Amino acid sequence: MVPVTTTTLAGAHPGTTPVAAAVALRGITRTYGDGPTAVRAVDGVDLAFPRATWTAVMGPSGSGKSTLLHCAAGLERVDSGQVLLGDTDITDASDDELAALRRERIGFVFQGYHLVGALTAAQNVALPLRLAGRRPPRAEVHAALAMVGLGDRARHRPRELSGGQQQRVAIARAMVTRPEVLFADEPTGALDSTSARTVLDLLGAMAARGQSIIMVTHDPAAAARAGAVVFLRDGRVVDRLVGAGAHDVANRLVGLER
Amino acid sequence: MIGLSRATFTERWPLFTGAALTVCLGVALVQSSLLVLISAATLPVPAGLDPAARAAFVDGSSTAVTLSALTLAFSAFLAVFIVSSTFAFTVAQRRQELALLRLVGADRGAVRRLLVGEAVLLAVVGTAAGIPVGIAATRFQSGLLAGLGMVPAGFTAEWRSWILGVSAGVGIGVSLAGVLVAARRAGRVRPLEALRDTGGSARVMTAARWGAGVVFAAGAAALVIIAPVGGAAGGQAMAANAALCLAVALSALSPLLVPAVARLVPTRGPIGELAVAALGDGVRRSAAIAAPVIVLVGLVLAQAGMLTSTAAAGEAEQRRTTAGELVLDARGPVGDRVTDLPGVAWASTETVLPLAVTWGSGDDVESDDGQALVVDPAAYATAHPGSDAVAALHGRVAVAGPGSGGGSPGDTVGVRVGDSDLGPLPIVAEVPDAISDGADLLLTADSVPAAELAAAPSRTLVALAPGADRDAVVAALSAIGPVSTVADRIAADAAGRDATTVAVFIVIMGLGGVYALIGVVNAVVIGTAPRPAEFATARLSGLTRGQVVRAALLESAVVTTVGLVLGGVAAGASFVATLAVTSRMTGTPTLVLPWDLIGALAAGLYLVTALTSTLTTWSATRRAPVALLGAAT
Ligand SMILES: Nc1ncnc2c1ncn2[C@@H]1O[C@H](COP(=O)(O)OP(=O)(O)OP(=O)(O)O)[C@@H](O)[C@H]1O
Ligand SMILES: [Mg+2]
Repeated sequence: MVPVTTTTLAGAHPGTTPVAAAVALRGITRTYGDGPTAVRAVDGVDLAFPRATWTAVMGPSGSGKSTLLHCAAGLERVDSGQVLLGDTDITDASDDELAALRRERIGFVFQGYHLVGALTAAQNVALPLRLAGRRPPRAEVHAALAMVGLGDRARHRPRELSGGQQQRVAIARAMVTRPEVLFADEPTGALDSTSARTVLDLLGAMAARGQSIIMVTHDPAAAARAGAVVFLRDGRVVDRLVGAGAHDVANRLVGLER
Repeated sequence: MIGLSRATFTERWPLFTGAALTVCLGVALVQSSLLVLISAATLPVPAGLDPAARAAFVDGSSTAVTLSALTLAFSAFLAVFIVSSTFAFTVAQRRQELALLRLVGADRGAVRRLLVGEAVLLAVVGTAAGIPVGIAATRFQSGLLAGLGMVPAGFTAEWRSWILGVSAGVGIGVSLAGVLVAARRAGRVRPLEALRDTGGSARVMTAARWGAGVVFAAGAAALVIIAPVGGAAGGQAMAANAALCLAVALSALSPLLVPAVARLVPTRGPIGELAVAALGDGVRRSAAIAAPVIVLVGLVLAQAGMLTSTAAAGEAEQRRTTAGELVLDARGPVGDRVTDLPGVAWASTETVLPLAVTWGSGDDVESDDGQALVVDPAAYATAHPGSDAVAALHGRVAVAGPGSGGGSPGDTVGVRVGDSDLGPLPIVAEVPDAISDGADLLLTADSVPAAELAAAPSRTLVALAPGADRDAVVAALSAIGPVSTVADRIAADAAGRDATTVAVFIVIMGLGGVYALIGVVNAVVIGTAPRPAEFATARLSGLTRGQVVRAALLESAVVTTVGLVLGGVAAGASFVATLAVTSRMTGTPTLVLPWDLIGALAAGLYLVTALTSTLTTWSATRRAPVALLGAAT
């Protein structure tokens, strides 16, 4: 991993201080398959996700949002271009280096929760720390659960929790390592509106405390909670709104889907 | 990480219990076969036996040693095969869970360490349980050998304390061998695989499977080709190994073969469609269930088919190479008394003596036990069409007999019969080898002390003169000893050999077969363990619980059918080799299949898989379907 000095990146706010972005993508491309059936899921994206900012990624289905997120998090290799996590170039990081990143510097939340069914909520939350070879103090795990409002559900297994509760356990698990960046792919996609609001409130509170969050979503209301919204179509960045309301976001999205 | 393993255990106990059980039984089987083998090989010859009893004892215990060695080889093979395929399958079944660990930051090494650590733990548990089970198995196997009369009644395999070390080594060794490749592969699982809804997204036909499939298939082909030059015993061993190799090859290739063959099995209706879809989706599962079926069916059919074919070929050969109508059992050379009787055209008296042959000299002496026949060369040639070479027998020389242990023309061997040392005798000729065992050396009465000869049992083949009064001849012969017809005698010999064949088969295959059968049950249970969510989805789309159970039952019946077919194909390798061996040995290619055994085996397999599938699916659909959909993994 090569430390780099980042100056102005395409897509960054004009006037931002030349601080390394939380995540920066430089001309990344990802193609699935080859020959006539090849799909260019991400097509030359230049993008900087500023630190301490909650950025939403929107776009029609199949526009490459998830692929972009996976590439940015080092879960998927890029065909060309460069991926920077803070100062670290993770484009060619080894498998073990990427695993260490996942343990220490980034967190994930997905639509399908993906908790380990055999483990209790507390054990799920402690898992990343234990994989890092630490024996986490009970208080630390409990604090993470309390932060998502589930302090009293520590000993429940995932199947004994509602979808919204499971998603909050997943958030606690992602946050317990105090990651630099939290990646979320449609975290409210499977939730009813009340549970969704709880989850978004949590993310909002975290962002307010300076957490960098990159969130893929279909929901304009969710995107409007974020500080910035990036729009994708056919694997390319086509627009970017800062501080827009749900109505503007929805209008923009409808425009893209036409 | 132990916490994770412990939590996973409570959730996935069928996987872990299944894996530990295969280790336990594998250890038990290997330990028991090894103890029996060593005790049979070191069995002291009791003092004070007369030469014939002594020879019978030596003969029996050397058969016991051979059988125990075969049993040990078969057990060791099964232990390695079943344990490694079970471990690999349990790891494959947990692929999604392992991907999830990777997603939250486990690196390859951590996944490998987790799996290897669990395997060692399971191996320790399995071995600890396997050692006492092994003691029970030893009792059973010794009893079996004693029941066959190969070892004295009351024979017990002696306990040796070093066997504890061997068993621990076997248990941990086969477990590690089984898990290492699977753990390496699991370490490379991509974190993103955790996000897919269904497991089993990994490529099932790995390079390792292709490699094993091709290498073992080539090995099977080579063994089939060279089997005919191996003689009766060597050819049979090669034929059995050909089936074993092909069974391993077909199991390795089963992810390709099972769906391909399953497509040929007709199924109808929505249940049929569901079963076929599940088969296509769960290739890894079908392959894991089919593998032990293929090996079990392949080895059992190969061994049984070979034994029955060889026995049939031997009987046919005896009919062809034995002339005359009557057999007289007596003591000593009674030939002259028989030929003198009115109505007898010719008679060939063959006196049976225990034989010890030695080769070489000084420090490099080898010896072998066998059987000698004292014969009249001319009469023997008449009584045994095809053995004209016996004409070279005269005075103090020997002719190599139809058995294979005596030596070859040109050799000079040290010969002992009964209690007498006959000194070195040159072998001057040989009669054709027989597929059914026979005497190793033919001698004349000149070589053997008269007292020795007079005390030994003899049989005399008698041909009647044209127009002779058969009843009168029989009556006259009965004054010398018991008389029977040649046809009856050959049939009785064959029946005796058949009984031995069945017994031998049970000794070699019995416990191993049960072990393989448990391997099949295990695979069905382990394969069903992660399916409750799949079943719940099917029920939410409108199927009743009964229909889900029936679809799973149909699926397992199709897999069993495919396993039976492929196992039959594997056994086919040994059948081809058997045809070649019998053709070369007797001139007539012979293949006799034990259809009743095949039927029983198939019925047993269907019954076991059907029962297991029904019970496991029934228990997997116990909870209301909605309860299962929310929970991940
Ligand atoms: N593993 C894969 N193999 C092949 N093609 C893929 C793969 N993953 C994604 N694609 C293709 O890449 C394109 C972008 O997919 P992606 O999942 O990134 O879209 P998305 O914007 O997240 O869609 P959605 O909103 O439906 O989740 C799609 O055309 C998809 O079919
Ligand atoms: Mg997506």
